[in-house]
Amino acid sequence: MDEASTHADLARDALAAYEGLLSLAEDVEDEWTYVNDLSAAWQARIGELVDEHGAEPATALEETAILRTIEEIEQISDPHRAIDWLSTFPQIVLVTLGGRR
Amino acid sequence: MRFQDAAQDARAVTYAAIQAEPVVAQAAGLLAAASSVQRLLARAVMNGETLDPDGWRAMFPTLFGPTVQPSDRERSEAILNVALAIADRGDQARNQLRGALVESLTVELLGRRAGSADVRRERRILFDGVRADIHPFDVTIERSGAAEAYDCKWGARGINADVLHQLDDARENAEAEEEVLHVALVVFDAELSCRVRLERQTAPHHQTRLVALETLESLSSSFTSKQDA
Repeated sequence: MDEASTHADLARDALAAYEGLLSLAEDVEDEWTYVNDLSAAWQARIGELVDEHGAEPATALEETAILRTIEEIEQISDPHRAIDWLSTFPQIVLVTLGGRR
Repeated sequence: MRFQDAAQDARAVTYAAIQAEPVVAQAAGLLAAASSVQRLLARAVMNGETLDPDGWRAMFPTLFGPTVQPSDRERSEAILNVALAIADRGDQARNQLRGALVESLTVELLGRRAGSADVRRERRILFDGVRADIHPFDVTIERSGAAEAYDCKWGARGINADVLHQLDDARENAEAEEEVLHVALVVFDAELSCRVRLERQTAPHHQTRLVALETLESLSSSFTSKQDA
């Protein structure tokens, strides 16, 4: 990522990683509906963030934070833990980039 | 309406041992005075994969960045350390400790309002002519005329029909005896995630208050119905 990264760029990277988390969480068949409702709600919140602050330039600390958090969720292999992170990950993204939680 | 200790069965003994772990009280004490972002840090670490503190510091620049006040950073460091100590205990112990932590945190915050003597754990609520629910409530405030019962959950996924029925049944049974019993769910998760979970629940919950990660402080103020689940 170059120096011209914006909040929208970081949010896009986060949403791409979130898709992987969602895919893993969907393995818990009994929770399929909840998992999809939950992810849709948080994706919408991140979408609001992009609408409101997407053009703002990202700082180096913000960029590192988002990339490091993406690395964290990429380590998850347990679908039950993935469900927990469907809630936790977007909150970290929103806190980092100044969105509404 | 009357309150009774839960049966001292194997589950209760095991659970009491978990509650007595020093790390539970330490974490609850720190989180009671924490900001919602510090609580999010604790939740993430205790759900997390990495045990590398530098990784977590990097993920939370609003808590550990160069412009953060030293006193705030000090509390964040303490929360990070205690959360890592719980995360390092393996999946089963971690799950048990997290559950115990939410209860201890609830007790701590309620105690600021009600006084610790009135806040009890693992209590059943009995009503005349009603078959007693075998499952105790996690936390109760036992005051004549304004009792309260709480069920505590680590995550929104813990909200289910059984829990909602238990809370609402108790409230209704109290009402039938012309008693007041306020009921609430305390969930160490984002309010949005809890609302999504509740949206598809058909069990009655409109008079059950929701206390989520962002609103935990409200436990220390008077019980209101403004945040009904």
